[in-house]
Amino acid sequence: MAAVKYIPREKLPEWLKALAAQSRVLVPVEEGGSVVFRQYDPARAPVFGSDATAPPKGAVFPACQELFSYAYGKEGEDNAPTLKLDPKTEAQPTVVFGSKPCGARGFLIFDRVYMGKKFPDPYYIAAREATVFVTMACATVENTCFCHWVGSGPADAAGSDVLLTPVEGGYTVEAVSEKGAKFLDNPALTDGAAKAAEAEAVKKASRDALGEAPDIASSPAALLSLFDDMEFWRDQSDKCVSCGACTYLCPTCYCFSITDEGTGTAGRRMRSWDACMHFQFTLEASGHNPRPTKAHRLKNRVGHKFSYYPTLHDGLIACCGCGRCVKSCPVSVDIREIVQNAVAKAKG
Amino acid sequence: MTDPFNPYLPEVATILETVQETHNIKTFRVRFDDEAKMKAFTFEPGQVGQLSAPGIGESTFVINSPPTRMDYLQFSVMRAGEVTAKLHTLTAGDKVGVRAPLGNSFPVADMKGKDIVFVGGGIGMAPLRTLFLYMLDNRADFGKIRLLYGARSPQDMAFSAELPEWTGRSDIETTLTIDREAEGWQHKVGLIPNVLLEMAPAADNCVAITCGPPIMIKFTLEALKKLGFADEQIVTTLEKRMKCGIGICGRCNIGTSYVCVDGPVYTYAQLKQLPNEL
Amino acid sequence: MSRLDALKTRIKEALPGLECVIGWQKGYDALHNTPLFIRGEADVDKLEWGALNVHNPAVYLPSFAGKKVGVVVKGCDSRSVVELLQEKLIDRDNVVIFSAGCDGVVDIAKVRAKLAAAGLNAGNAEKVAVDGKTVTVTAAGKAVSMPMAEVAADKCLRCQFPNAVLADAFVGDPAPQVQAAPAADADLAALDAMSVPERMAFWRYHMDRCIRCYACRNACPMCVCRDHCIAQSREPHWLSQEDSVTEKLMFQVVHAMHLAGRCTECGECQRACPMDIPVLALKKHLNRTIHDLFDYQAGVDVAAIPPLLQFKLEEDNIKERSW
Ligand SMILES: Cc1cc2nc3c(=O)[nH]c(=O)nc-3n(C[C@H](O)[C@H](O)[C@H](O)COP(=O)(O)OP(=O)(O)OC[C@H]3O[C@@H](n4cnc5c(N)ncnc54)[C@H](O)[C@@H]3O)c2cc1C
Ligand code: SF4
Ligand code: SF4
Ligand code: SF4
Ligand code: SF4
Ligand code: SF4
Ligand code: FES
Repeated sequence: MAAVKYIPREKLPEWLKALAAQSRVLVPVEEGGSVVFRQYDPARAPVFGSDATAPPKGAVFPACQELFSYAYGKEGEDNAPTLKLDPKTEAQPTVVFGSKPCGARGFLIFDRVYMGKKFPDPYYIAAREATVFVTMACATVENTCFCHWVGSGPADAAGSDVLLTPVEGGYTVEAVSEKGAKFLDNPALTDGAAKAAEAEAVKKASRDALGEAPDIASSPAALLSLFDDMEFWRDQSDKCVSCGACTYLCPTCYCFSITDEGTGTAGRRMRSWDACMHFQFTLEASGHNPRPTKAHRLKNRVGHKFSYYPTLHDGLIACCGCGRCVKSCPVSVDIREIVQNAVAKAKG
Repeated sequence: MTDPFNPYLPEVATILETVQETHNIKTFRVRFDDEAKMKAFTFEPGQVGQLSAPGIGESTFVINSPPTRMDYLQFSVMRAGEVTAKLHTLTAGDKVGVRAPLGNSFPVADMKGKDIVFVGGGIGMAPLRTLFLYMLDNRADFGKIRLLYGARSPQDMAFSAELPEWTGRSDIETTLTIDREAEGWQHKVGLIPNVLLEMAPAADNCVAITCGPPIMIKFTLEALKKLGFADEQIVTTLEKRMKCGIGICGRCNIGTSYVCVDGPVYTYAQLKQLPNEL
Repeated sequence: MSRLDALKTRIKEALPGLECVIGWQKGYDALHNTPLFIRGEADVDKLEWGALNVHNPAVYLPSFAGKKVGVVVKGCDSRSVVELLQEKLIDRDNVVIFSAGCDGVVDIAKVRAKLAAAGLNAGNAEKVAVDGKTVTVTAAGKAVSMPMAEVAADKCLRCQFPNAVLADAFVGDPAPQVQAAPAADADLAALDAMSVPERMAFWRYHMDRCIRCYACRNACPMCVCRDHCIAQSREPHWLSQEDSVTEKLMFQVVHAMHLAGRCTECGECQRACPMDIPVLALKKHLNRTIHDLFDYQAGVDVAAIPPLLQFKLEEDNIKERSW
């Protein structure tokens, strides 16, 4: 791997401006009390300390995206009907700058689904390939963080292209991928060898602050064994109000709906975020709903993340432990607690 | 350079012909406008397609014409909601979008040399029709073929234009039934599972393929078990709300099984392995 | 006996006849309590009463239709229960209301801001102590004291009903009224002071970060459609799934309209919003209009019919024929 580089804090804008000259650069900024990813604006100081309220999910998977436009028409002497479909899969070159490791790592969970062999998703792939993640390792952790439960950690570079680590006066900068290495070519970055040990100490300290992770290796089997235990799921879901906060803010939740919008003879087909916590997600035209209550739906959310997905994808848990679902839930439904309850209950 | 395959982009197709099967089922025969694509198109019996009315949306329907008859792709659509209501307004010459083939198919190879019993109820006859016609077109490959098709009333029976041929053929045995007596009805009267018990097909070296409304499936499964069919000898298709049809949008799973790619065809034995969430 | 102990005693007595009793318990960290569903005697001891009981448990009542449940309420929550009764969305015989005097709850967003000002992260909260007029939060080893008046929920600063307006078991001493007359609404005053374009810019700025999660809708005890909301339905097809401020704001306006004269200003919509969008102001604005027109306040009288749920040939304050 390339040598460690260093950038003093006051030189960050210089680097960001250089990046912004070539791509869309998204940084976390404060907006009305929340922290969200927005296009870099030198007048707005990025917030690198705490984790963003909303992860940079939209950079690759927008809340709503056009799949294609359509236009009906008429043609020829006999006015034969025509239908033209026009897809747009191109994506804008983008740098996501200053996400936490968990926010970037979420796309590793997407990749398995959107970059499968049978039906690779051209929209996702275009955006994924056009996006570079310059990630900020965590110097501090929060009460809701549990990335260490799911095979990750506060300095996990998986899914990122460049890793920054906060040190005294600035940040060390390490290229993680080849794609990332190209981004370090900037005069604001100097040799960071002298800072490398300090960066390693920061990484270790935040990892240590998380403490021991409980053993949840049996969660796939445990959750499956509780599938028919609706009393268990009632107890876990009692306080849930069935909104979409936990899934829309989750860096790994990848579900969507497809809807058409048009006026007259033209319009577009779009895909937009959707989630298994919504009643309408599985509602069939007949009125039948295989997941009629919030207990059924929460069971699917936890089951998908900690059982079905890992069973299908080599044990990879579909959660990066960012804790957003816990922190942003209006009633503090805690997925950690549910997984642990399931593991304990299955043990009997 | 050609664009990478876009699984969300339908093929534009033209409706060649429609058949009003019942008051709420309409059949569409469509062909892709791109002749090269139509000629290259292949699928297996049981596979489905997403039929689009751009501007309204798209919905999943089984391709109910067999791969042995490729003049057109046939879909029979029961009016249920927004998209199906729009489709029902379309006629010959109108354009639709088609994304196909999607999903798995009937295990035809495993059925070769065996006796076959089809048990279809209502619109559930659509997926059976594909396989049924496919078998008729490859008649020598299969043993005895029996079809039991039921609907609420004679007016609710789809594919009525084909029924005389099906009931008239001597190399198959077709039984039609309706729930309650109706004037002029020449065939059986009675609920499908009861008629099936009367028919009493021998389970030995036989595969039963059943499709229909949930309540009918439930009692048909019971009847088949009574007749001695093992779980592996019973094949059915599942229905789930779908959007993408390609295993990505995340809504059609039963545990680890995504009905849009791993289904819709399952044996009863496979169904029993899945979590209970139908 | 403390209010909490007295509540526990009354709940224990009533529990055998109830499906469950809804209250609060400690949550995932010191700063968060979370709703509690008491189904057995052992759960009763988890009950909490105090400044961290920010949620409105009335939101759960309609989902228990046909079953008899208990609910522990603060004064403001009791108004939601009353409004639900007014609209016959729940049945008086099927709800047992437990309550005690309320000294106010904190607004976690304000606590978060206070901690941030002290260079601390609310995500590191270790301990919370509330005594009389001060809240002391310890985070990352440092204690920060904040006057309750500065971190209390806005609604508490103007609270007219610190004691439940309706209760089957009201325990302990009533809480004193904060103020004789409600103080001015700071958020409405700020919006009133803006020009119309400024106000539109304000909403555009805030709604832009809305993620359309509808926590605001689902946390609202008076929102009755929920699973069948126009936000997602295609029939009627009033909103699209487009990620635009227009769609997002349109939903908020529809929500506010549906709550005009029904909203008790419990503030759950805004509290629940994970993106800190000040959506309560829209409802407050409509409530003010309702109050001016009909001299009506939602959720204080079980027998009253909300003004927009009835029809009068001639309203007292709407002079249709005299202009
Ligand atoms: C594998 C499979 C094969 C099917 N084959 C046929 C068939 O051959 N003939 C037939 O008439 N019907 C079939 N259906 C059912 C048909 O897909 C639904 O009736 C149809 O989608 C309803 O669409 P709608 O827009 O009219 O209803 P709405 O209630 O307006 O539905 C809105 C959207 O939800 C989705 N949706 C709702 N219900 C279902 C459902 N049951 N299955 C899948 N998606 C749904 C669709 O995306 C639809 O566009 C099949 C379903 C599946 C899953
Ligand atoms: S955020 Fe909380 S209340 Fe909302 S759906 Fe998720 S778990 Fe339920
Ligand atoms: S499930 Fe929760 S903790 Fe896990 S990645 Fe999603 S939001 Fe983060
Ligand atoms: S938890 Fe639900 S919304 Fe999230 S990815 Fe899984 S199925 Fe989709
Ligand atoms: S508004 Fe009144 S009753 Fe409600 S929490 Fe505040 S002080 Fe208590
Ligand atoms: S809770 Fe907030 S983010 Fe969610 S829909 Fe409501 S206003 Fe938007
Ligand atoms: S329909 Fe999208 S995953 Fe099956």
